[in-house]
Amino acid sequence: MEPTRDTHATLVDLLDRILDKGLVINADVIISVAGIPLLGVNLRAALAGMETMLKYGVMQDWDEKSRVWEREHRKKTLPSLAEGEEIALKMYGSYYYSKGIYNAWRPGYFYLTDKRLILYRQDFDEITFQIPLEEIKALIMKEEEHFVKDMKKQVLYLLDKQDRVHRLSMVETNQLKDAIEQRIKDMGFYLEENPVLPELEDEQIVGSLMEEERVIHRGKKVWYLVPAEGIQQETWRPGHLYLTDKGLFWWYDFDKKLVLDVSVDKIISVSTDMRKTSSLNSSKEKVLNILYRVNSTKKVALFSGKEIDEWAQVLSHIIPAQQSEETEICPQCGKEAPVKELLEKGCPYCNWVSPRLRKKAQENVARV
Amino acid sequence: MAEARYLYCIADSAEKVNFGNIGIEDSEVYTIPYQDLCAVVHNCSPEPYKSEDNEVVKKWAMTHQKVIDTAWERFGTVLPLGFDTIIKGEEGITPDGNMKKWLKGDYENLRQKLGKLKDRAEFGVQVFWAPKIISKGLIETNPEIKKLNEEIKSKSKGLAYMYKQKLENLLKKEIEKEADRYFKDFYERIKRCVDEIKVEKTKKLEEDKQMLMNLSCLLPKEKSKILGDELEKINNTEGFSIRFTGPWPPYSFV
Repeated sequence: MEPTRDTHATLVDLLDRILDKGLVINADVIISVAGIPLLGVNLRAALAGMETMLKYGVMQDWDEKSRVWEREHRKKTLPSLAEGEEIALKMYGSYYYSKGIYNAWRPGYFYLTDKRLILYRQDFDEITFQIPLEEIKALIMKEEEHFVKDMKKQVLYLLDKQDRVHRLSMVETNQLKDAIEQRIKDMGFYLEENPVLPELEDEQIVGSLMEEERVIHRGKKVWYLVPAEGIQQETWRPGHLYLTDKGLFWWYDFDKKLVLDVSVDKIISVSTDMRKTSSLNSSKEKVLNILYRVNSTKKVALFSGKEIDEWAQVLSHIIPAQQSEETEICPQCGKEAPVKELLEKGCPYCNWVSPRLRKKAQENVARV
Repeated sequence: MAEARYLYCIADSAEKVNFGNIGIEDSEVYTIPYQDLCAVVHNCSPEPYKSEDNEVVKKWAMTHQKVIDTAWERFGTVLPLGFDTIIKGEEGITPDGNMKKWLKGDYENLRQKLGKLKDRAEFGVQVFWAPKIISKGLIETNPEIKKLNEEIKSKSKGLAYMYKQKLENLLKKEIEKEADRYFKDFYERIKRCVDEIKVEKTKKLEEDKQMLMNLSCLLPKEKSKILGDELEKINNTEGFSIRFTGPWPPYSFV
């Protein structure tokens, strides 16, 4: 019997080898390809056809599991309601969740009941957003840029009685807005007329960012010591700091414009110290010092605020690393950190370490 | 954009060779010598080759294989790498620098592997069998099954059904035992003809043809005839068939 190399069946045998086997390099210098097993499966599907792939058992397991999961989760299709609470309207939509550096539209179904507005994710049987109707102070509808270019989408801003802003999006914005207004009226409450959205500085700064620029860190109000200019003395002014992958920006809340714009590679050092920030009293506050380069001279930018420590930490991790390499998202906490640090030391925020590193540490312990 | 090196294989030669544009996407394939070894590479950007189009990926994989074949023919012994192994540069280190660093650090290991794989090739051996034919044989030869099969004929319809279930269960168990026995037998026979065996996962096929065993075998290229003769015998056994593929570069033994 002679071995063969060139038939269709042989091809599958060969591809098994090329895609799944071969010398393994145990080095960090390799470009990792997480997609490869998937690629292999896809390829085999194309070779053998879907039916054969099922026979090969590639998808069966997955298919059955997903069906079981689907069956179990389809049972629960309604959020749990209070006794006597009635659903008036159901509509697909999403809610903009933003906390720290994590922000995303979280999808689900809006349920308008006679008591509340709920966003419910049936897959996880989870209420991701809810507000009692009497807590709603105002509704504002705005047309915004959709992430698909040249598309607009209706966004419903919901102001609560604490003046917090919630950003919602749904299939039929008008319909839901009208329904909420009607319900609130029926309950004997009134919505504020001609409301104004407070602090929409986010949209504006996003407008000033370059294309493909990503915001890595943002936070609460940060005061910036605006340097003296003309007859103006240097003054602390309120605004917001943004760190993107390109630079550090300070947005002046009053004038609604970018006042400070330092590219990341111009930053020389980041430190903090205690100093007097007000002429009214003698107490000292922690101040963030950022030394940066402007042409051939150096300048210092001073910031103060509640989150100065956090900013110092974020900046000190980003600044020295940026010259050398890219950042990666920590698989545990999802924050950005330099790849090298993640791999060699672990995550600076949540102390996550890679399995390889953990193994190495264990080996070291064992050796000792 | 920074450069990187797509790595096909490590070969047992210090020769500096340019193979021309035979690589993936017509890239120029050449060797980077290190001491008495060389790496067969092409220059690429530090991004993996990815495509949604399976035909494209298939073409890439086949080209990957062709390049390794070419190097294999020329240098005699190679350590093949899997598809999409790309060495990148780092700050202050070129991809070639990284490659040499790795070759230096792994030199002993690579040398040892090249020694082991000298003049050897990998062959795929898949044994298929038809359980239906085997079970037919069992009904005739296994006394217990034979007896049950006889008894069914004299039973009423309801009872016959019960007996049939019993018979099927028994058959299933016996077939598994048979599979085990054949597996051991074939494994021993194949083992005698080869240097090394790796047992791979079997794959599901149609009802009447099952994969009993899936092996990767390492042996000297010229001894493939001895293995072929043994496989011929198995192939001639009723109810069994063989798929014999190769010679492949030793993907499973590096």
